[in-house]
Amino acid sequence: MSPSAPSTLVAVEDAAIGYGSPFLRGISLNVATGDFLAIVGPNGGGKTTLLRALLGVQPVLSGRRVQNAPLRIGYVPQRDHVDAFWPLTVAEVAIMGRYRLIARGRRPKGVDRAAVTTALDRVGIADLAPRSFRTLSGGQRQRTLIARALASEPELLALDEPTSGMDPPAELDAMDVLRELHRAGGLAVVMVSHRLEAVANYASRLAFVDKDRQLFHVGSLESMVTPDALGELYGRRVNVREENGRRFVYPEPGGTA
Amino acid sequence: MSGWQDFLAARDIWREPLIASIVAGALCGFLGIYVVLRRTVFVSAALTQLSTLGIIVALILEETMGVEAEHAGVQLAVALAFSVAGALALGMALHGRRLPGEASVGMCYVLAGALVVLGANRLVHAAHDLNAMVFGNAVAVPVSDLVVLALVAVVCAAVHAFFAKELVFVSFDGETAAALGFDTRLWNGLLFLTLGLAIPVSARALGALPVFAFLTIPAAAALLLVGHLRRAFVVAAVIGVVAAAGGYLTSWFWQLPTGATMVSIAGLFVIPGLFLRKG
Repeated sequence: MSPSAPSTLVAVEDAAIGYGSPFLRGISLNVATGDFLAIVGPNGGGKTTLLRALLGVQPVLSGRRVQNAPLRIGYVPQRDHVDAFWPLTVAEVAIMGRYRLIARGRRPKGVDRAAVTTALDRVGIADLAPRSFRTLSGGQRQRTLIARALASEPELLALDEPTSGMDPPAELDAMDVLRELHRAGGLAVVMVSHRLEAVANYASRLAFVDKDRQLFHVGSLESMVTPDALGELYGRRVNVREENGRRFVYPEPGGTA
Repeated sequence: MSGWQDFLAARDIWREPLIASIVAGALCGFLGIYVVLRRTVFVSAALTQLSTLGIIVALILEETMGVEAEHAGVQLAVALAFSVAGALALGMALHGRRLPGEASVGMCYVLAGALVVLGANRLVHAAHDLNAMVFGNAVAVPVSDLVVLALVAVVCAAVHAFFAKELVFVSFDGETAAALGFDTRLWNGLLFLTLGLAIPVSARALGALPVFAFLTIPAAAALLLVGHLRRAFVVAAVIGVVAAAGGYLTSWFWQLPTGATMVSIAGLFVIPGLFLRKG
């Protein structure tokens, strides 16, 4: 799809990304309405930098970022980046997602609190609204942060390693929440993950980023999650197995591509 | 109660210093919540050193070059300039990528401290004032200083009342705030600007060391006592007021060093929180 197609929400074209000096060049990536894009790669591979460039938080060093219209973004940071020491309730954290919609110097109103209640309800934690954020489990905190992103009524939901540090049931739980939100209609989802398996059953497109190997590939899930494509990505033989409708990805011991 | 009668009779002596202590205690207590929760305690230490350095630079210029800086207003203006410039620079340095933020803050603190010592060593006439500047005296606060302190407190209160949600959001989760389009540099700059303004004017009343303490202890005590951010701001400001006023009165009646007494009383408020378990 061309980055300038009508349904494109945001795109980078022939972009160079990095801090000060570029560590990846020639990146073209777009996100369209209803997309579910996973940005995958090793730790420190440049995934978060690419996401930040896509969102416009970090300027591209060359090339350009395209956004045709004002875009409501919901953002879920890495859970570890949110300081749980602050004495805030779940509702107070979630209402921060509304702050962009409220004029400077104005306080949240009934409509904002209603949006927060709806968002908390969508991720199944409406009953936790008055609880202290710092007393929550990791999974509950993650749901709170997703609810905060949803409270902004986003067209694009961006998530940075949303399942990092979670145990497998909590990870599946969080991904199921995202899938339900995506399927509910219209919402584009872009998520960063260093775990391919976490996204292989949810995303519709994959972007693979590894600055150390100067690698950037983007394509449909079907074209990317194949032994050949993953073998090239990881530099070793990788098996892909399907069982009960779920994909499992695992490298062969000692196998080089 | 002759002690009280003597005290009341001497109201012309203690009125401005006591009011200044109360205002500074409330202001530092309130701002301390940001200082503690943002883990920038040593930024306030560095800024107090910088504001002291500003006063010393003003005194040195006056002694060595004959620049008229003896007037307290001039000293305060130079201290404000040092503190505000330092606050804005440290605010940016905390988000630098070439050095960890603590390294920049640490360097600023020790270098400013060293320059204070070197500068004090060069002073001839004003050296006797330095002890009060650093450790707090709060005995003589001119009305002009009290007016400036009150103005700064009103400005800080207005900024924090008007932009509370932006300052809290950017402080709590700057990454998400930036992703949603908030200019985090602007809001962080505004927060550090209020700190840069509050520290030197409070240090004129309380002294540099008590100001550092008041930016840390009341907030820490409040966060131990209450589990809600808005209440923590109020409780920290109240503890600041009580410790400042209580310290002033205690030091008056028992002939104790004022700044150290204020800090010690503030420290007492930490104790109950240590034994309190809250969610």
